Amino acid sequence: MNLPIETDNLTRDYRQVRAVDNLSLRVREGEIYGFLGPNGAGKTTTIRMLLGMIRPTAGEARVLGTRVRLGSPKPWSDVGYMVEDPHAYPELTVWENLEAARRLHPGTPPRAVGEILARLNLTAYSNRRAATLSHGNAQRLGLAKALLHSPRLLILDEPANGLDPAGIVEIRQLLLELTRDHGGTVFMSSHILAEVARLAGRIGIIHQGRLLQELDAADLERNRSRRLLVRTRESELAEHAQPAQHAQQAQHAQHALLAAGHPAELLPDGTLVLKNTLAVEHPDEINRLLVAAGAAPTHLVVEEEELEQYFLRLVGLPGGLPGGLPGGLQDE
Amino acid sequence: MNNFTAMLWIELRKATRSHMPLSTALGSLFMPCGIAFLLFIARNPEISANLGLVSAKANLLTYAAMDWPAYLGLTAKILAVGGFFFFVMAISWVFGREFADGTVKDLLAVPVPRPSILLAKFFVAALWSLALAAVMILAGLLMGVLLRLPGGSLPGVVSSSLKMLVIVGLVIAGILPFALFASLGRGYLLPLGLAIILVMAANLVVLLGWGEFFPWAVPMLYAQGESVLPALSYWSVILTGLAGVLATVLW
Repeated sequence: MNLPIETDNLTRDYRQVRAVDNLSLRVREGEIYGFLGPNGAGKTTTIRMLLGMIRPTAGEARVLGTRVRLGSPKPWSDVGYMVEDPHAYPELTVWENLEAARRLHPGTPPRAVGEILARLNLTAYSNRRAATLSHGNAQRLGLAKALLHSPRLLILDEPANGLDPAGIVEIRQLLLELTRDHGGTVFMSSHILAEVARLAGRIGIIHQGRLLQELDAADLERNRSRRLLVRTRESELAEHAQPAQHAQQAQHAQHALLAAGHPAELLPDGTLVLKNTLAVEHPDEINRLLVAAGAAPTHLVVEEEELEQYFLRLVGLPGGLPGGLPGGLQDE
Repeated sequence: MNNFTAMLWIELRKATRSHMPLSTALGSLFMPCGIAFLLFIARNPEISANLGLVSAKANLLTYAAMDWPAYLGLTAKILAVGGFFFFVMAISWVFGREFADGTVKDLLAVPVPRPSILLAKFFVAALWSLALAAVMILAGLLMGVLLRLPGGSLPGVVSSSLKMLVIVGLVIAGILPFALFASLGRGYLLPLGLAIILVMAANLVVLLGWGEFFPWAVPMLYAQGESVLPALSYWSVILTGLAGVLATVLW
């Protein structure tokens, strides 16, 4: 199997701090690999080691089959990249910046500059000095530089940063096109989980320098917690009832469910929360039970854990509540 | 060679699009014009009578540059010291700006060998320094003509100009390590700070009598032309320059 990116126990220390800890990654050809992690997780350090910008303390990285070495001109002719915030020569125009990038990749034809300008909707800004670009357009220019020489592998650090929604959709299309039509591989870091979930075929989650989990996009869907929220006529009455009445009425449905083997948690607003697999996969059964118990449901919905909460739960940060309660309905 | 030409295009474009070449050229005019101004005051007592301290300085200068040979000698010294500062500014900008603007990372993972990129930068820094030297020398000559200094002769001007070219060469060799200082300091501050420290150190070393072996004192001593410098002096400057280039490439 062709592996455009391979790392073996890649480690990087900054004095006493271990920024990346024994990271072993395999990125397959033609896939979009999402590299997820909170700020300071080690994403950018990993990318800098992949690009030969810093030397690993231990371990090694291979990019397009070549062991990465500092200062080596290989294998960069087939690699496009954007690390951290995009920077450009402020006194040069957009065209001049791209022309400079073209000359840094010998063999790239001069027409490539015009083509990438058009592809990233930058033609209108071609003669504008880079210093005068908005953050979004500067990001486009950074991406244009990365894509200019039609690389086989793209390494992008937070590519959607600073882009407006239309820009994000454009970039998404562009990356999908690169992998689908040209067989290219994309390795992108991000903290925008929904964006990664939408784009990436595989996702690696990094926290405190360690790879916590590597999973397919389908696994991500499966692993996210789900729960069934139920409101009955009694729950709705309970909202307007006194606390004592409220407890009494809502508990009737709760007891009926418990008797049938479905433990349900009662939220202060009268909503019943069921997390057991049977209830989540068969809400019709819960409906039948409640109707039979004289507490017909008025609201029955399966809620999926937010991606952000799944992520926070995985890395053990506050906000990732066990069981995955969406923000607006968090249990006290 | 193709890589070097491509890199040279990039470096020249960056330098010519920036305001720095113009700023340094205007700055380098300051010393020859300032000297000419002082000479003008000293030669016009009706003006100097009202200028107090400036007049005193100007009168001192009159003895140092009362004719063409003395004036050209003064211009050579200006080139050795003033040129050094402006050349350091040029090379610090060429190398340090990649760190200051955050563009260095765009040069690190590219298929062009790193020495090609660095040599193009050194070439542009040297070219820029030569242009600044030309500005200083031509401005100096023009001021001399305008002041109608006595004792001028074409052979004298040619010989002084050749001497100034040697000084320029020595100063340029001496600034090459500043590329490494800009890279180590990831910007302009370290090389500019070190330039000031090295000039002070050069003065001290000259006072102690070891100046001819201190690379950054050699151009000034050569400009003074009071004694013939040993070959080792020139070699110390050349080797310092080569070491600067090599260390920057290896860094």
